[in-house]
Amino acid sequence: MKALLDSFKPGLKGGEISPLQFFGKHGISVAFILCVVIFSLSTQKFLSTDNFLTVVMQASIIGTIALGVTFVVIGGNLDLSVGSLLSFATVLVVDLHDKVGPGAAILLMFVFTLLIGSVNGYLIGYLRLNSLIVTLGMLSAIQGITLVYSGGKNVDISDQENTWFAFFGREELFGIPIPALIFIVLGIVLQIVLLKSGFGRKIFAIGGNATASLFSGLRRNRLVFSTYLLSAFTTGCAALILGSRVMGSQNNVGEGYELLVLAGVILGGTSLLGGSGSIARTVIGVLILAMIQNGLLLLGFPYYTQWLVTWVVIIVAVWLDIAAKRGKLFSTY
Amino acid sequence: MKVQISSVRTIRELGKISLLAGSLSLGLSGMAQAETFRIGITQNNVGVDSYQTTYEQAFEEAADEADNVEVVVLDAGGDVARQISQVRNLIQQQVDVIIIWPTDGQAVVPAINGAKNAGIPVVVTNSNIAEAGQPLIAAFSGPNNIQQGAYAAEMMCDQLGGKGDIVQITGQPGYTTAIERQKGFEDRLPEVCPDVKILDSQPGDWNRAKAQRTMEDFLTRYDKIDGVYAADDNMGVGALNAAKSEDRADEIVFIGATNFAVGYEAMARGEYHGSVYQSPAEDARNALNIAIAVAQGKEVNKMSYFDTPKITQENMDEFEKPVF
Repeated sequence: MKALLDSFKPGLKGGEISPLQFFGKHGISVAFILCVVIFSLSTQKFLSTDNFLTVVMQASIIGTIALGVTFVVIGGNLDLSVGSLLSFATVLVVDLHDKVGPGAAILLMFVFTLLIGSVNGYLIGYLRLNSLIVTLGMLSAIQGITLVYSGGKNVDISDQENTWFAFFGREELFGIPIPALIFIVLGIVLQIVLLKSGFGRKIFAIGGNATASLFSGLRRNRLVFSTYLLSAFTTGCAALILGSRVMGSQNNVGEGYELLVLAGVILGGTSLLGGSGSIARTVIGVLILAMIQNGLLLLGFPYYTQWLVTWVVIIVAVWLDIAAKRGKLFSTY
Repeated sequence: MKVQISSVRTIRELGKISLLAGSLSLGLSGMAQAETFRIGITQNNVGVDSYQTTYEQAFEEAADEADNVEVVVLDAGGDVARQISQVRNLIQQQVDVIIIWPTDGQAVVPAINGAKNAGIPVVVTNSNIAEAGQPLIAAFSGPNNIQQGAYAAEMMCDQLGGKGDIVQITGQPGYTTAIERQKGFEDRLPEVCPDVKILDSQPGDWNRAKAQRTMEDFLTRYDKIDGVYAADDNMGVGALNAAKSEDRADEIVFIGATNFAVGYEAMARGEYHGSVYQSPAEDARNALNIAIAVAQGKEVNKMSYFDTPKITQENMDEFEKPVF
């Protein structure tokens, strides 16, 4: 017992790590495995390749957005506008599909989505406005633009059977659904960018210590700008998946997604204060959230249990994260 | 998350103010003539979906056609505080009847009470208000959601031939329309088809993408699903998408409770089996007619439902494709 208590105290001999530190570091992976085990034991339907691919596919829309948002958060900012940006991009690409054809629609969608991302980036990077206020305002503004554009009507693709636009949401490659493939491939690429490129290291630097990075000659404004371009780009990719999967869009289809995205990022252990985080862990965070939804439904729980369980999982994850950093489970002051 | 759309709203409000000023002057000049009624309407959230957008257009058209009516058209933008102040405005303008499309069935009751105290009758449109407010209103005009749910149960029963296992995708939890459509369906189903069993119910939040995801999980969980009841076609088509990608659509009956254009098209392709036809234009015209009748002092039914017939592959030629 004493040994266990001791292990929670900081100042261990070199090389040893306490269980607490272990959980802080690998807690998210442990939680992931725990979720898999619990759900697999509870229902036979859960542990199958098909269901796993379903979970990854269901996570792909929120997950793809979360990849870009992870960069924004590591850089020390927030992006709450991604939910309504997703609505905007999906409405745009679906509506233009019938008017100018899929290729041009996708191109235009990315142009306008990146344009909005660059407005965010300009206001936050160059004008140094508070990211919470800017993106919260953009959340409403983009929703307004979407409603003006669509006139409040739902948009649909008329010829759903014979368009190659179906590729992004409805087809498979080597038995893997394309949405899952987009999510995973983009995740791997961005993880490499984050860890191995100068760009990635600079993002960590500006998020970790803005002043120090400034004195080191980093151009914070340009870097922050590019993180918002990145989150707009991944949101555009998510819109491709969503539009193609549903073959239509409502004006408010992305409503509330900003918080789900943020939940996935936080669950992955990315610090909201910036300076630390990882794409791989964001991916696991988003997968855990999707798995909870899928697993509880397979078990036949009423819908509100998933809200509750999701919240508990996030609180425990954040708690362990903080506890590992201070070396104690509870704060003493 | 509900968010104000301030920029759009401002432009809209500007338009409304000029319209308001116009109707005020018209109202003054029209006094001398035969009876002209002034009817004010405060809507829920125009522009957020096609149904409400079409409703507003149809309402204004119907008001233009009627020669003894002037209307003051306001929109609360989904904001209950704004709706309450709009009701106060209409009271001050001394309109003859106020039509309200409640943003919140509970919170608008005091405002309705205020109108009643000022001697102005209130007609509630589309979604009903809470029980406490019922004695205060002149009439409710709108669809009978319980009946719509019951119709869906009957169509499900017909299509399944009286036997099978089904799943239900409901609307937004807590939303009156969602609750009533679920109740109507669940009450009627055992009466007409005691051998049809509801395996599970989960919310689709009126959202096609969400319904599609929910259906994917249902398909994983149940090896045999004979029917899906969705509280509207938007979600029903989401369920259809999910079943098609699993190659299980052929063995499933799809029934919705409000016909959308996408549902109508799927029905034309033979993939979708039944729904309930609810026209926003009919909804708007009914509300205006009831309000005029109330203004004229005529007796009206407290519950003035408009007709929402069943639509299936057999009779769909009689209906135009929905605008939403």
